[in-house]
Amino acid sequence: MAFLDLFDDSPEALYELFEARGWGDGLPLVAPTEDRVAAMLGACAGRDPDEVVAVLAPRFGKATRRSIAVNAVLAGCRPEWMPVLVTAIRALGVPRVNLRGVNATTHPVSVLTIVHGRAVDDLGFNSGLGVFGPGNRANATVGRAVRLVLLHVAGASPGTGDASTQGQPSKYTYCVGENVAASPWGGYHRSAGVDAESAVTVHCGENPHNFHDMESDEPAGILEKAASAMASLGMNNACISEGEFFVALCPEHAATIAAAGWSRADVSAYLYERARLPASAFREAFANRRWRPWMHSVPDDHLLPMTDSPDNVKVFVAGGAGKHSCVIPSWGVTTSVTLALEP
Amino acid sequence: MIRILSPEGDVGTPPAELAPAPTVLTGRRIVVLDNGKPNARLVMEHVARRLAERTGAVVGTTVAKRGGAATPSDDDELAAVRASADLVLTGSAD
Repeated sequence: MAFLDLFDDSPEALYELFEARGWGDGLPLVAPTEDRVAAMLGACAGRDPDEVVAVLAPRFGKATRRSIAVNAVLAGCRPEWMPVLVTAIRALGVPRVNLRGVNATTHPVSVLTIVHGRAVDDLGFNSGLGVFGPGNRANATVGRAVRLVLLHVAGASPGTGDASTQGQPSKYTYCVGENVAASPWGGYHRSAGVDAESAVTVHCGENPHNFHDMESDEPAGILEKAASAMASLGMNNACISEGEFFVALCPEHAATIAAAGWSRADVSAYLYERARLPASAFREAFANRRWRPWMHSVPDDHLLPMTDSPDNVKVFVAGGAGKHSCVIPSWGVTTSVTLALEP
Repeated sequence: MIRILSPEGDVGTPPAELAPAPTVLTGRRIVVLDNGKPNARLVMEHVARRLAERTGAVVGTTVAKRGGAATPSDDDELAAVRASADLVLTGSAD
């Protein structure tokens, strides 16, 4: 691995060096010295630091534990968060994520990392109040480290490897814990087929689209607002039927829905049924539609769903007190991946 | 003085490079590989026609890329395009 010697060891000199080389995310960084990187790798005891965890497009950079650790130091991570970071990067290398498209598109898509299970509390991730916001070091720095790996190893630098027209704030950091203690349906990862104490999901999508419901004491009132937030011609998923929607329900909304006897799958089924627009609206808005074949045959005056299967509506619980939830549409031609947390 | 490690890591697969362009286009076949982005076909077919007018090349049938703009062409699609063209125009437009 290449080294650089800085004769000025001030934080400002490191900041200037990274800016001059086109590295970093524009924010101050922690110097990735050999000692700090070694400490980071110490959290991956027994694992080969030079094993290729993933090859990341568009640069096709090799993400090894060592190169991931360098970026973890830069981001301000603690060593104990390395397994979460390594698991997230391994997930991004799974072909169905389509990282080449995710990084290179003009859409603002970013990588949302969701931490599930025991790791949330054991490692200090925030899954409660302000879960998508600032103030928690684990959420902030692990999300930032994912982005730094994408910038440095994957080559997703704006202009050369990331063509995003406007970008979006979540390209700085985008990591949350799942509030499993407040989830009536258990951990999301188990619904995704991962039978493990802890897991990590990566979902390539837009910033959260908030919806609020302060009045309803039954599921439909809440979920009609979620469906309304999903049924928009403006999002990339509108012309791509395989696109996923992650729905992060706040604990109070989840409790109201579950109290009526609804399962996680019921929520997905309802949103699949209700997040719809007339087929004519899609046809007028998009000359090119990436639809399942059956969708092309639906008459103009019938309603078409925003996604072609209820399985594409993914529900988990996050947040604290209050009645605000959110929808996170995907970029479209990408599929989320959930993996058991690496030791 | 401090020594720091580079954050970039090694490159696994060398990036693809453009094939060498033919030096003479007279009689050569130009084919547009359309990725389905709005107006991409319009722009590239216009460029193909202008190139043909100026050089004596022949414009072949445009190939619509199966996966659209979001995914790469597979090997079969690339082989078919390669067999039908001496010069391929492709690109994007939004």
